[in-house]
Formats: sequence, C-alpha cells, structure tokens
Amino acid sequence: MSGKAILTLDSNKLSVHEVNLAIRKAAKDGIKTVELLNPMARHNLGVAITDPIHLVYKGDVGYYAVSLSDQVSAEIHGSAGWGIGDNLIRGEIVVHGNAATAAAPSLRGGTVVVKGSVGPRSAIGLKSGELIVGGGAGYMTGFFMQKGRIVICGDTGDAIGDSMYQGAIYVGGRIGSVGSGCRFVDIAGPERDELFATLERYKIKAPKAFQKVESDRSLWHFDKKEFEVWKDVL
Amino acid sequence: MEGRPLKDANFSGIWSPETIEAIQEKADLGRYQIRGQATKRRDLPSFDDLVFVPAGLSRMPLEGYRERCDTKVTIGEGRVKRPLVLDRPIMIAGMSFGALSVNAKRALGRAATKCGISTCTGDGGMHPEERANSAKLVYQYLPSRYGLTPYDMRKADMIEVVCGQGAKPGTGGVLLGTKVSAEVARMRDLPEGVDQRTPSRHPDWMGADDLPVKIQQIREAVDYEVPVSVKVGASRIADDIKLIARAGVDAIVFDGMEGGTAASPTIQLDHTGIPTIAAIAEAAESLRDMGLKEDIKLIVGGGIRNGADAAKCIALGADVVYIGTAALIALGCHRPIHVEDYHRMGTTPYECNHCHTGLCPVGITTQYPKLIERLDPDEGAERVANFLNAMTMEIQLFARACGKNRVHDLDGNDMRSLTIEASMMTGVPMVGLNGRVPAWRTY
Repeated sequence: MSGKAILTLDSNKLSVHEVNLAIRKAAKDGIKTVELLNPMARHNLGVAITDPIHLVYKGDVGYYAVSLSDQVSAEIHGSAGWGIGDNLIRGEIVVHGNAATAAAPSLRGGTVVVKGSVGPRSAIGLKSGELIVGGGAGYMTGFFMQKGRIVICGDTGDAIGDSMYQGAIYVGGRIGSVGSGCRFVDIAGPERDELFATLERYKIKAPKAFQKVESDRSLWHFDKKEFEVWKDVL
Repeated sequence: MEGRPLKDANFSGIWSPETIEAIQEKADLGRYQIRGQATKRRDLPSFDDLVFVPAGLSRMPLEGYRERCDTKVTIGEGRVKRPLVLDRPIMIAGMSFGALSVNAKRALGRAATKCGISTCTGDGGMHPEERANSAKLVYQYLPSRYGLTPYDMRKADMIEVVCGQGAKPGTGGVLLGTKVSAEVARMRDLPEGVDQRTPSRHPDWMGADDLPVKIQQIREAVDYEVPVSVKVGASRIADDIKLIARAGVDAIVFDGMEGGTAASPTIQLDHTGIPTIAAIAEAAESLRDMGLKEDIKLIVGGGIRNGADAAKCIALGADVVYIGTAALIALGCHRPIHVEDYHRMGTTPYECNHCHTGLCPVGITTQYPKLIERLDPDEGAERVANFLNAMTMEIQLFARACGKNRVHDLDGNDMRSLTIEASMMTGVPMVGLNGRVPAWRTY
C-alpha cells in the first residue's frame, strides 16, 4: 500500500472515541493509511469514516469495525466480530481470518472479502455491493437480500437467500438448503469467468464450480400462492 | 357488508357480521387481512378511565388564561453536545415517506417547525423535503436499514433505534406494492411495485446484551452530538424499559397497542401488545426503580387524541407524547371531501382505514401524483399547527387547574380513577374512596 504518510495508533492506549476521531482527522488531513495496533477485539473501531483512507488492523476486531463508512479500504489481519463493514457505502474490506455473525450486513455498496468463513445471517439485507467468502457461511446468509452479490466458496447452512428480493448468491460447496422464495439458475460462461477472476484477484482458492441462487419472485406479491413458500420459512 | 340487513337483527355475539365477513374475506384471499389505522377494539382500558381532580380550596389553581405554565422538554441535556429542545411535550411520531406522501411530510414538518417540536422520518430513509421542512427531525434506525447513511445520521436531531411498534410489536413493517413508487423503491433499494415486508429484528445485533454496543456505534457515528433513543411496542414493557435504560440511552419511546400504522395484519392490531395507559405505569415504575426517571426521558404514544390524554400521560410519568394518527386527522385524514373516492374503496369518511391501499382520497397516505396534489402542504401545516396549539393549551389547562406552573409537575395524585381496573393498573386512587381501602375490607 503506497501513500504519502502512515499514522500508527495503539488502540490499547486510546478510547474507542479517540481512535475514531484520530482516523477521521487523518482522513481529513489527507493521510493515506492508518495502522491500528492492538485492536484486541474491541468494538466499534472505525465507525463513520467518510473521507478516503486505508485502515490496517493488526489483530482481531470486535463488533462493527469499519461500519457506517464510505470511501474506505481496510485490511484486518485477524478475525472480525459481528457486523463487519455494516452499511458500507463504497470501499473494500479484506478480513484475513473469519468473520462472525452478520458479516457485511445491509451494505449499500463496496466489497467485503472474508478469507475464512462467516457466521449466520451474513450479508443480511444486502442493498448493493458484494460479500466474498473463501470458506463457508452460516444459516440464513443473504436473508432479505435486496441487491448485490454474495460469493461463498465453501459450504453453507440452511435457508440461504431466504426471502431475497433481488441479487445473486453463488455457492461453491454444499448448500444446506435454500430459503423460501429462491431458485437455482444456470451460470453463463462470462459470469463464471468473472467470478474466478475475482477470486484470483483476492488470492482465494476457487472451487471447481458454483451453483447460483436467485429470487424466484414468489414473495414479491402478497397473494395466496405464497403459502407454499411461507410454510417452510425458518 | 353488501347484503347485510339494514335494521338490527338477531346477530350472534360470536358470529357477528364482522366475524363472518372476516372469515369470508380470508376464504377469498388465502391470507390474513391487512389494513391501516389502529385497533378498533372498544373494550380497552383508556385515558377516559381517569379524571383530573383540580384545585379547589385544598390547593390553589393558577389563572387559566394568564399565568405562565411551562411546557418545554429537553432530551439529552448534559449528556450530548446538542440536546433536542422541544417547546411543547409533543412530538410527531415516525411515519415513513412511502406510507405518507411527500406533501404530507412537508406539511407535518412545517407544522412541527411552527410549534417548536420535532417530526420523525419513519422507516424508509430521510427524504430531503422532510429535512428541509423540519427544523427538528428524528431519524429512525430500523431493522430494514432502508436508505440509511452516516451522512443522514449526522443531519438528524435525534436518532431513534426502533425495535418494535405498538400496532404490531414483534413484527416487521408492511408496505403494499401500490405505494412502492419509483421514488420509494429507489430510496429503499427495492423493486418498484413489490409488496414490501421488513424484518422484525435488527440484522446485526441480537438481544439486550448487544444493545449497548449498537448504541455506542450510533453515538460514535453522530460524534455524541445528538440524543439517542430506543423505541419498542408496549408488551413486556417493564423489563424492556430496564434493558434499554441499562444500554445507556437518552430517551425511551414506546407506543401502546392503540398505536397507529399504515398497514398491519388486522388480527395483530387487535390481539398484541398492551394498552398505553397500562404501559406508562409499568414503564415509569421501571425507570424509578433504577433511579433513572430524571435522566432518561419517556416518550409515549398510542391512541393519544387530545390534551387530556397527553396531560394524563404526563401525570403518569411520560415526559413527551408522540402523536401520529391525531396529526394525520388534523391534516385532513377522514375529511368528508372526495367522498365518492371513499365509497369506491368500500368505505366512508370517519370509518376509513384504507391507508394500506395507497388510494387515500385526501392525498396523505398515497404515492399517486393526482391524489398527492389534493393535499396543500401549507394549508395542511396550518391545520396541524392549529391542532398542536389547541392540544398544548388543553395540557396547560389541566396543569393550571391543578395548580401547577409546569405541565411536568402533574402527577398521579392530580387524578382519580373511574374504574377499579384503571386504579389497579396505574396506582391512581379510585374515585369515591378518598384513599380508603375498599369498604369490604374495612367493615
């Protein structure tokens, strides 16, 4: 990562508020990179950062790291707690470990990459952007997904994509089950090539093939035909 | 109701015309019924079960039309950099752009601004017209996260984390496709015309142990500038209030089962939650138990119709009342104009609960341009402001009559209960007993 300056913060010596204020000030001052030492899985490190900056977390982070943010890139050299990248608008977050429940919730855009696995209800309410997972994903990942893309190289739990409106979920491993209102569709050649190219860019080992899940639109309109899908909702 | 006998017949109490109609409608639709407004139950304990006992000789009243009677409330005082100051103990409740038309949003914003109170975004994001027309705007942070941005959070005057609502506690929102216009769909990132249903719980936290972390995130996002509240529907209210208070908020909002909605499963309106009058007593007691009654403001909604209801809420422990349906009625809801359009929907003014259809004859709960045009925002704002003024004067009327120069000095001892149930729920003494225990225990 090139840049004209790097600011190093020791989060063990600062309050959460001081860390966030320091990151915001650094971004306003045009500093390219903030390196955060000793995050120690504390919550809310990197909230509402809305000027361009690159964040490097040297360890595990707690809930809501890099959340409610825009124009931010981040790398997390550890694992992430709940809600990594919550509501990201534009930017890119790479988690080198695993991410807990609700990774990348309600993204408005940007990309969240988790090289390990993610917990249940990940990319929930996704509004745009994408979640890319090198490992597996827990149950109800993609629940209420509205737009965007989820790529899971490993296995998934049950009810993937339940009640999704739009968007696409690609799964390389075994799918526990798909949720209500979903269907499998074929993947076109260029679409598959783009998926593999994306994984290569993030140095994630690609599976041999993907299955694609999207909305069958049976839950778009509230009529009696939907009972067949409603009765099995988790 | 076509075909129902015109004159009273020997209707069954169990199989009433309404019950029969409901079963037949479900048989047609294959799903539960949906409608707007609020529960229509007539058997709920209500604010009418309480009366004020103003000053006589044992207390001296204030001059009703002359002496000062303070109405101001400040939320977050000493806790955030920019507390929310309300000139009156009233706020306009959260009603989304989508549920309401843009002209309704403009009108409510202008009325609230005139009266020095706030309005609220509801679920659907912050419409620029609403922000432009509302000097004080509460931004709701909901499970759907529709339209949520940190930029809009910073523009808000308070953030309200919504965990439920009185009309349908425990259930997410509904907005039928007729109201999901191109603009509503764009703001919510949804397909145009879809029947939208929203989640009932937040996507990225679960339960009371996580709530303090979420509150910290929101406070960080707004840089501790503005107050943060949490809203629930009144159900297990005593415990909920304690869990919210423990999370470190500036205000707690709840509405009772009389709370309004633009669309809800009908059966849920009538069979979930507890009445507002019962909930206030429980909520205020919880805050007193924790020693936080003065620090955390209590904002109460659900079926509040006038200054008497509001004054009784305050006397029971509320700091502010939320009004939604009453504000819409002041705006023109149920107004007997364009009556043929009410009839076309199979209803009439005063009976209408067809907000969910998007065909509102008076331009309030619709997204159809021709209907929206029927609502003049300036005229509507004046009507709502007039109502808010009248309601404020009514609240002051009771406070002065009880000898109080601050409306917030009203308390339970300024009232008496007309029913045993109201007395037992609220702790307000029963009329006619003068504080004695019931006679059957004395003699």
